Amino acid sequence: MIKLVNVSKAYLKNVKILQDINLYIEAGEFVSLVGQSGSGKTSLVKILIGEEKVSDGRVIIGDWDITKISRKEVPYLRRQIGVIFQDFKLLPQKTLWENVAFALEVCGQPQGKINKVVSSVMRLVGLEDKKDRYPHEVSGGEQQRAAIARALVHQPKILLADEPTGNLDSINANEIVDLLIRINNFGTTVILVTHNREIVNHLKKRVIAIDKGRVVSDQEKGKYLL
Amino acid sequence: MFLSLIRIIKFSLQDISRNVWLTIATVTILVLALLSVNTLLTVDVLSRHAIDAVKEKIDISLYLKADASEEQVTSLKTEISQMSKVKQVMYTSKADALRSFRETNADNPEVLAALRELGRNPLSPSLIIVPNNVEEAPQLINEVKQIDSDIIESRDFTDNTLILDKINDITKKISEVGLFIICIFLFTSMLVAYNSIKVAIYTHRREIEIMRLVGASNSFIYLPFVLSAVIYAFLSVMLIIILFYPFLGILQPYLEVFFMDYNINIIDYFLNNFIIIFGLQFLVVSIISVLSSWLAIRRYAKV
Ligand SMILES: Nc1ncnc2c1ncn2[C@@H]1O[C@H](COP(=O)(O)OP(=O)(O)OP(=O)(O)O)[C@@H](O)[C@H]1O
Ligand SMILES: [Mg+2]
Repeated sequence: MIKLVNVSKAYLKNVKILQDINLYIEAGEFVSLVGQSGSGKTSLVKILIGEEKVSDGRVIIGDWDITKISRKEVPYLRRQIGVIFQDFKLLPQKTLWENVAFALEVCGQPQGKINKVVSSVMRLVGLEDKKDRYPHEVSGGEQQRAAIARALVHQPKILLADEPTGNLDSINANEIVDLLIRINNFGTTVILVTHNREIVNHLKKRVIAIDKGRVVSDQEKGKYLL
Repeated sequence: MFLSLIRIIKFSLQDISRNVWLTIATVTILVLALLSVNTLLTVDVLSRHAIDAVKEKIDISLYLKADASEEQVTSLKTEISQMSKVKQVMYTSKADALRSFRETNADNPEVLAALRELGRNPLSPSLIIVPNNVEEAPQLINEVKQIDSDIIESRDFTDNTLILDKINDITKKISEVGLFIICIFLFTSMLVAYNSIKVAIYTHRREIEIMRLVGASNSFIYLPFVLSAVIYAFLSVMLIIILFYPFLGILQPYLEVFFMDYNINIIDYFLNNFIIIFGLQFLVVSIISVLSSWLAIRRYAKV
């Protein structure tokens, strides 16, 4: 469950890039977040993962009010929210397997558990046979799948995808979206930030559109407006 | 916990090996700083020994006439003993003087033969005056010069106080210059350590970003860099130990010549005080490099 109450955000004084956002996203929902470049989508994602603080309003995730989350608490929030980005953010000198394992290593998990979890998420995203390749040895779609696998290692309740298909051709993009749907079907809340009209229209799920920092439409089984 | 420690060490070693040249530069500067510290320490130890050696040689002797009577000697001795700057007066009789003369020339048969030839004891009895403290020696010598007694045959003063002053002077100057150099090196060390960690953070910016995203705790992000700083300190102290003992080995023979009969062993000094000298240096260098890396971490890794 994600709840935003009257959220405003200004990086610079008096320049509000998010204004009076009120949102309620149920656990297990699949939501697309659309809007023009600069409308504040990434800022919203950053607020949800505790990277940016709101200027006004409240943010609640599950039963945790993260509005004034401290730096010490942020890591625990991140272990409950998986994130993926347009640029994958994989480490080039590590294999796909090592990239995924890295997320568990730096959280102090024992090797035995790492092996088990990594092989299960690699299987989930369909990369078992390419696990020993380096990022530059696989396609963009496969890199994004590795990034998704990494985002899933902590079994997060929420998966945020900030334009995950932005760098991919339509075939790879569709595969990624299918994967997100599959993950959603396991009960994970998925928030997909995208520019891709076709994908949104094809999904037939809830669409939230923001423009100039305000929610301008919020529809069940929505279409890409604007 | 243990597992995290191993991973932190692994990360730190990775950071050091990825920036080998930077590590070398940092450690070199730290070694130079330590070299100046240890050189100054050596100078200090040597000057203290030199002062002791010279102090040992301050010698105020009154040679008495051979025919001075027991009472005359005793009364002169009492008179001098009562002087405020005198610690002790030792009487060496003719016989004592001869005995010690024989001992010092035991392996010099010609001298002994000449002595036998002479058929009598040619040596004078003497009074050796030990000053209360060395600084007052010049005044004491003046006072002793003014003692008027029939039985004094000659007076012999080896006044080394001028040399003492010189040694003190030189040591002070070297210490001042040395401290200045140490300060410069310490400051440079801080700058270099700061920049090394800054570059290390820059090289690892993707890892750091990802660690953040996947929920690594802050300590896991910054501890490898702190550890790297400690490793810089450790490496530099190790190197200075390896470099400095041979240097002392080269120095030692010269010292033995310079100090002559005074017993000095600078290597022993550094060996006997190994833990305190190098332990302290490791501690101080660690603090300096950890402190500066911490500043870099705060600034560039934003933890
Ligand atoms: N750190 C920052 N400091 C100041 N302004 C910022 C900062 N980050 C973003 N902005 C501004 O906030 C506005 C919203 O940016 P944001 O990245 O959230 O947009 P977006 O909807 O994700 O755009 P895009 O579709 O291009 O990714 C933009 O006008 C941007 O210039
Ligand atoms: Mg964006």
